[in-house]
Amino acid sequence: MASIGIRTEHLSKNFKSLRALEDVSLLFESGRLHGLIGPDGAGKTTLLRCLIRLLLPSTGRIDYSEGDRSVSFDDIRPRMAYMPQQQSLYPDLTCSEHLDFFKDLYRLPSSLYRTRREELLRITRLDKFQDRRAGQLSGGMYKKLGLMCALLQSPEILLLDEPTNGVDPISRREFWDLLYRLREQRILIIVSTSYMDEAERCERLHLLDGGQVLSSGEPRETLRRERANNFEELFLRREGVTP
Amino acid sequence: MISFKFSRARSIALKEIRHILRDPFTVALALGLPFILVIFFGYAIDFDMKDIRLTCVDFDQSRASRQLTEIFSESGYFKIGFPERPDLFLQELDQEKTAGVLIVKPDFGKTLSSPGQTAKVQLLLDGADNSKTSAILSYLPGIQRAAAARLTGLKRQEPVKLRTRFLFNPELNSRWFVVPGLATVLIGLISILLTALTVAREWENGSMELLLSTPVRPLEIIVGKILPYVALGLGGVLFVYLAARIGFRVPFHGSHALFIAACLMFIMAGLSQGLLISVVTRQQQLAMQLSMISGLLPSLLLSGFIFPIESMPVFFHYFTAILPPRWFMVIARGIFLKGAGIGELIGPLAALLVMDIVLMTAATKRFKKDLEP
Repeated sequence: MASIGIRTEHLSKNFKSLRALEDVSLLFESGRLHGLIGPDGAGKTTLLRCLIRLLLPSTGRIDYSEGDRSVSFDDIRPRMAYMPQQQSLYPDLTCSEHLDFFKDLYRLPSSLYRTRREELLRITRLDKFQDRRAGQLSGGMYKKLGLMCALLQSPEILLLDEPTNGVDPISRREFWDLLYRLREQRILIIVSTSYMDEAERCERLHLLDGGQVLSSGEPRETLRRERANNFEELFLRREGVTP
Repeated sequence: MISFKFSRARSIALKEIRHILRDPFTVALALGLPFILVIFFGYAIDFDMKDIRLTCVDFDQSRASRQLTEIFSESGYFKIGFPERPDLFLQELDQEKTAGVLIVKPDFGKTLSSPGQTAKVQLLLDGADNSKTSAILSYLPGIQRAAAARLTGLKRQEPVKLRTRFLFNPELNSRWFVVPGLATVLIGLISILLTALTVAREWENGSMELLLSTPVRPLEIIVGKILPYVALGLGGVLFVYLAARIGFRVPFHGSHALFIAACLMFIMAGLSQGLLISVVTRQQQLAMQLSMISGLLPSLLLSGFIFPIESMPVFFHYFTAILPPRWFMVIARGIFLKGAGIGELIGPLAALLVMDIVLMTAATKRFKKDLEP
């Protein structure tokens, strides 16, 4: 199976006078775990929304490819999954009802759904909470349920917008363990985060600030290039604060 | 690529049913409110007047003048009172203690018995209250006839006599006329309110972003959101029907199947209008306000419920044609009171169908598939 990659070229996005993205040219190679790192307001959410066409670029383009072949967005659309940063589940529906709902939206065959659901409930350890309403879940469990809804269809591209924001450290670690498992399936994962310690867990890093790309590459190499010990130091230095 | 999948519409509908079942407010709004309002306003709105207070200033005090006042009271429409101070009768009218003043001149009895002369009685009415005064006026010819016959003892020869019979509502019982109209106003309003919040709520609680990232299509969302509320709306119709039949004994002469079909089309129009509002505003509060305004005022004032469309300026004859309640008003009154069939109602039914299609298409077209502001 040839896997999917995404390339953005000179991508800009304006909201009235606000310039959210400016000349972003990035390569998201297939089968890797990519991190979008940057402080709040860096343009991470806007970039992810552009990638799944919830927003349209003001200028520039986004190309999708499968192996060496260029493919249209509509072709790969059904194989993409997205988990928004803001709360987006239905507080009055239970975990189980959410899974049923998304199964129907993705039109999963029942047999596949049953095994997939079992598997996901097991690895997220939410099987005991199937009948709990989303509004009554803890922050970490809520995010896991969101991830499960996104993973239900076995996507080949997974876009996660700050999936660990507001989640306690243990749940965060669990969440990353989950992502590592997914990485083994060699799907393209793009995760945005404002936690700098999560940067080093990614295979490819894209640092954003003020809508622009600061640097792009492997985490260690990026640090070496920027002569910083860690990413926190790197961003603080940009703000003019010496740690 | 663009393909409507019923299974996805069904999953939206199932989800919506769960929301409804967990929110007793919606169920109460759909089923209880129209029922209560029909009963409440059905009793309140009554164009028939009984026991209208009239003050009689009798300067004659004769047998004839007493008979005259009896004729007024016996009609059932009037209640005659006599002022304590006859010279202050105008004050009673000013203070609205009475609807009118009947003045019998001192020579009333005498004139009546002299041949060839007409005995005159003056009636002063409060012209400030238009509707009450016109009701009184409509009762006067009957009183006049009764008085002429009884006081002179003669059966007057009438060379030309107009005999009027009221078909469909022989007693001109205004509740029969009001209740089907009221049902129209309420069912229309509730249908709009039911869906007005559904899409706006998804935008406000963030679930729209997730929904839009799935393969679901706007038409599937629209259809899925309408279906459960159609059932709920029909439930509301049933309650309104029971209130009209049992509460007010409004006759039902038409076909129930045709009535249900027409209700279905009318409800669909309201639900689609609500969805359109929700899709465009994307805010619950604004959607609620727009629904109240667009759902209540036109159906109260421009549907023919209170004011006949024929007496409106020509512009409104055309303008009201785009309002679903204007058409359902004709249908509801026609089926309830006249037993109208599909042949008579084909025009209004076709109009509703066109509006269903237009409103649903508009809601689907205006449905945003992205998060662009």
